[in-house]
Amino acid sequence: MDGIEETTHGGVRTVLAGRPGPLTAGLFFRVGRADETLSTSGVTHLTEHLALYERGLGEGHYNGATGASYTHFHVQGGERDVVGYLNGVCAALAELPLQRLETEKEILRTEEAGRGSGANRRLPLWRYGAQGYGLVSYPEFGLPRLDGTAVRNWVRTWFTRENAVLWLTAGQVPAGLDLSPLPSGTWYGTPAVTSALPRTPAYFSGDEGGVVMDAVVRRSSAAHLYAELLGRELFRDLRKKGGYSYTAAADYSPRDAEFATVTALADALPDRADAVLGGFVDVLARMRVGTLAQDDLDAVRESALAVFDVPDVAAARLPSYALNLLYGHPNLSVAELRREMNRVTLRDVRAVAEEAEGTALLQVPRGRDAEWAGFVEAPGYSTGVVGGERHPAIGQDGVHLVIGADGVSLVTPGGAATVRWAECVLVAAVPDGARRVTGRDGIVVAVEPTLFGVPPDGIAAIDRLAPPGTLVWEPPRSPEDIPQPSRAKQQTGRFRRRR
Amino acid sequence: MFDSPPLAGPEFSPLVNFPELGRLRGAATGRDWPTVRAYVSELDDPDMRATAGRIVSETPGAEEFLTGVTRRDKGDVMARVLLAGTLIHVGWSIRTGATANQVSADQFTRFFGYLRRAEKLLIDVCAEDPRNALAWLHRLTTARGLQLGASETRRRYERVAEHHPHFYSAQAQLLQKLCPKWGGTWQEAHGFANECAAAAPPGSLSPLLVAEAHLEHWADRDGPSYDLNSPAAQRELTAAVHQTVMADGFAGDFHWIYAHGLFALVFSLGEHREKAAWHFQVLGNRGSEMPWNRIDGDPVAAYKRHRRAALGRG
Repeated sequence: MDGIEETTHGGVRTVLAGRPGPLTAGLFFRVGRADETLSTSGVTHLTEHLALYERGLGEGHYNGATGASYTHFHVQGGERDVVGYLNGVCAALAELPLQRLETEKEILRTEEAGRGSGANRRLPLWRYGAQGYGLVSYPEFGLPRLDGTAVRNWVRTWFTRENAVLWLTAGQVPAGLDLSPLPSGTWYGTPAVTSALPRTPAYFSGDEGGVVMDAVVRRSSAAHLYAELLGRELFRDLRKKGGYSYTAAADYSPRDAEFATVTALADALPDRADAVLGGFVDVLARMRVGTLAQDDLDAVRESALAVFDVPDVAAARLPSYALNLLYGHPNLSVAELRREMNRVTLRDVRAVAEEAEGTALLQVPRGRDAEWAGFVEAPGYSTGVVGGERHPAIGQDGVHLVIGADGVSLVTPGGAATVRWAECVLVAAVPDGARRVTGRDGIVVAVEPTLFGVPPDGIAAIDRLAPPGTLVWEPPRSPEDIPQPSRAKQQTGRFRRRR
Repeated sequence: MFDSPPLAGPEFSPLVNFPELGRLRGAATGRDWPTVRAYVSELDDPDMRATAGRIVSETPGAEEFLTGVTRRDKGDVMARVLLAGTLIHVGWSIRTGATANQVSADQFTRFFGYLRRAEKLLIDVCAEDPRNALAWLHRLTTARGLQLGASETRRRYERVAEHHPHFYSAQAQLLQKLCPKWGGTWQEAHGFANECAAAAPPGSLSPLLVAEAHLEHWADRDGPSYDLNSPAAQRELTAAVHQTVMADGFAGDFHWIYAHGLFALVFSLGEHREKAAWHFQVLGNRGSEMPWNRIDGDPVAAYKRHRRAALGRG
């Protein structure tokens, strides 16, 4: 189609489109962080690092990327560089350099520490919980537990010929390219969509002054243009007109075969957080029922169509074409895409806006709410408390911990956090006895023996009752990181958090 | 002079002082939507529309009446704005004007509930019709009641001022928010009042804000006592009189009674009886709840008391 040839090579689905200049190629696997669990979190990224370790490969530019639902090995260079790189990746996946395991884990921990927390870092866990697509909100908590066997099994399941798509900016596959070392397996659809939001549109209060929103909409040209227009309107109102924000933008990105995530954000200049929230809400309403101009739609349409005007458009489309194959989303021809884009009307954009606002999750500035704008508060507490042994907090009235056969609860005057063992996805353990118990819904119960006087057999009970595979030992904490009753902050606030 | 009979009690009802508002109220009471709609729509001046809107929104039974209208015609922007005004009015009467610590949790819950319903209507109206002065005016009130913050209140004012730069009613709402009782400072309050007065064309209502800021400052019991009689205050008040009620082309429309009442009050409080007297004479036994309710739970009594002092008779 349109100069893109679909074929298979060595049992791997392959898409080809030639273009002059250096060769570019990528090998996608349908596996990412959303396929992990919180206690194996990091295994895909670790695999990617191990696969790339051995390629001491000429002059080519290469890279690897681990997304929520794909892993991508990418290279640009001469034919020999590309062949060498891809062959090296496949060989390394077949025979992992496990002597590097601990070193690569250390490198990943350093990467994690250096990674800035993106503005939209918290939304996935509030929307999806500590599972599936929500896992991208979390640090790679599984790393300490991952051994050679775990990584090998991960490769055997996910990094298979059937679960991969190769793309190459060439008319034919270069001689010598050998993907055959990859194991054989099966194609997996995108991860199951989970939910931690009983109702939408919902909101939670963030730590910053700005506003971040995401929404889930059906993939379409109209949805793409909706996101473009939303970014434009936010920028116009909050930055240019109001001067409340420095950054105001929106983004459209496919989540799976059927749905895309629209993410929008506006930061807040000092003392302008309330105006940013109000202005944001008004822009959302304008997108839905307001005075959008045909000129604005035409302007964003023109930019969107410009991607089809580049030279060698077939080659330029290969990565997204390959990703659609990987997800099982139908690929349209350029002519069809243009037609779809040209047909989008303001009414279509408003319909997407309705859909987006219906599914929206809004992170509001610290201490604010969005009830007034029709958003419901996302649950930051649990609804129930388990039975079991009670451990009152030392020196804090009205706060106690319960460790029971069904789970653990932390009860505070503001509300309770409960993780039932059946729903537990992680018990992070440190040698001083503390346990951080995380539930599928993202609720965390922090068991601090120093604050609750929990005896060793209470801690042992947690370790025994934790579902198999969820106990992860973390490195010892330094003494000043161990909380003491006299210095402990009052237990308040919500219990949805990353750590 | 001394033989003049005492004046009868002043007429405070806008429905009597402005017969057309009386007829509007009659139409609202009779649930005659076409008449209500036609009358309010014809008012181009946003301040006149604000007053007319209040007459409709505060009609007993208006919530049911206007809810019915919005159900029949979901696209009717005017009906939704007037309904929002009613919801705000009902909500605020549940909350009452008492200080927050005298309002029960249940009152607050119901108050917020009404304001949120109003806000939900207004968010959509302002998106559909960004020039809708009355909708933005209501949103200044909801912003204050729902505690949406100073920068948000200011944003809403800027959105309405974009299309209606001398919209006195909106300026008066923002002025409230800029006073210390709602989290502002006297510097901001006086500054904003003076700024609006300076920018306003002669004969408009905006310079009334100058007098309102002085009145609010005087009435503030938390701060140090405020001298309405200072040369600076008197100079500003006199200038405001000349810019408004004494200016050529001052119509005042539905606000002229309030305007003279306001000056009568601030000059009375500053012991300038002779200045106050002129305003009382112009009023000719008319008045309005505001501004007299600002200083006394019985506004008519306050009016009569100060008039007696200014005119030397009851």
